[in-house]
Amino acid sequence: MTIDILFIWTAFKEISRALPITLILTILPLLAGFIIGLAVALIRIYKVKFLCGIANGYVSFFRGTPIIMHIMLIYFGFPLLIDQISKKFDLGIQSNSIPIILFVLTALSLSAGAYLSEIFRSGIISVSNGQMEAAYSVGMNSFQAMTRIVLPQAIAQSIPNFTNIFIGFLHTSSIAFIVSQKEMTGAANIVASTNLKFLESFIAAGLIYWGLTIIAEGLSFLIEKKATAYNRGGVQ
Amino acid sequence: MGKAFDPTLIVDFIPTLIYYLGVTLQILAASVLLGMVIGIAAAILRLFRIPVLCQFVILYISFIRGTPILIQLFLVFYGLPAILLFINIDISRMDALYFVIITYGLSNGAHFAEIFRGAIKAVDYGQTEAAYSVGMNNSQSFFRIVLPQAIRIAFPNIANSIIGSLKDTSLAFTIGVMDMMGRGETLIAATAHALEVYLSLAVIYYAVVLLFEKIFRLYENRINRHQSADVSATG
Repeated sequence: MTIDILFIWTAFKEISRALPITLILTILPLLAGFIIGLAVALIRIYKVKFLCGIANGYVSFFRGTPIIMHIMLIYFGFPLLIDQISKKFDLGIQSNSIPIILFVLTALSLSAGAYLSEIFRSGIISVSNGQMEAAYSVGMNSFQAMTRIVLPQAIAQSIPNFTNIFIGFLHTSSIAFIVSQKEMTGAANIVASTNLKFLESFIAAGLIYWGLTIIAEGLSFLIEKKATAYNRGGVQ
Repeated sequence: MGKAFDPTLIVDFIPTLIYYLGVTLQILAASVLLGMVIGIAAAILRLFRIPVLCQFVILYISFIRGTPILIQLFLVFYGLPAILLFINIDISRMDALYFVIITYGLSNGAHFAEIFRGAIKAVDYGQTEAAYSVGMNNSQSFFRIVLPQAIRIAFPNIANSIIGSLKDTSLAFTIGVMDMMGRGETLIAATAHALEVYLSLAVIYYAVVLLFEKIFRLYENRINRHQSADVSATG
């Protein structure tokens, strides 16, 4: 077995065509997870009755089970649920007419929400209570103080964590190939098995992921510099 | 699927699947040990800035953190036999389990290296100076003063990494390892009750993760028992 260096380039071009799906599978779940995570974090911080218990259970379960479980449970569970409901109410919706990518997106969004909620929670807690008091002292109400004073600081502080989550989900999207999504790993698998050049294809895929990760880290560094431009610690 | 959802099967499948938990834990234990060795070596190479090897370690860590574990798994599975064939060693018939352990060991190694490096740097240099002032030499001050404090700092991150690694082992079945997931796949092929199998698996993974978290928390309290209250409350 020899390594065909030239084929790496061929595979590279072929696999990079699946880049948009990989990015969709990364960015959409993170956007949905942003909203879920913020809501869950606020529910847990303010200990909203009843909802708080659900939120705790949700975060604990999704952080306690592998992401492939979430994909599989929703991939196999939702169609069943949809068909049952559809049958009961005569809606005429068939689960097999729903594209698989929607199930994958739902699963990834739910796990992104659980992970992001922990980031928001630690970000919000890390903003000193004096900031809230200062906002009250100039006559803001709780909502204004939260959205104008605390959240912007919490989000700026969470940027390194957001980068980690972004890179984590960029890599997690590769699991979608197990339910035959043709994202980058899926594409690499197809290129590999049609040409019987497995190593070369996965080297190409690895290089693309690596490149994307390095770009993401660079961008995060720039954003962090911008977002924390007005933050001065005691030692600066 | 075809058949209706049957919740009683979730409980029925658990004993069959839990029988293979041993394989999952075996992968985890071996890869964590391998990762510790690689991680400590890599952290030392970086901290002492050993030329050439240091750059190699930086590249290794960047690559592992920059690619999905699934890609790493395939690269080791197809790449390692190809590399070893150059020196006339044929491992293409080796059990897939070993490829998984090597991949997860390499992956853990990169994460541990960063955690160790950060933890060692987090120990105040005054501690080393204090150790010198009472007449300790380099290795004494490192092993008796700095390292125990670094381990305390690193522990929560190491625990997180181990739990993450446990969840990652669920991907080992993609190269044909018969762990819990692998057994689950065969169970689905035999019974066509996919959802029930995955629910059983989720229950087992969740229980194991909760157990691990509990054990790690107890151990963390133990290694922090000499910390004064105000420090351990924040740290």
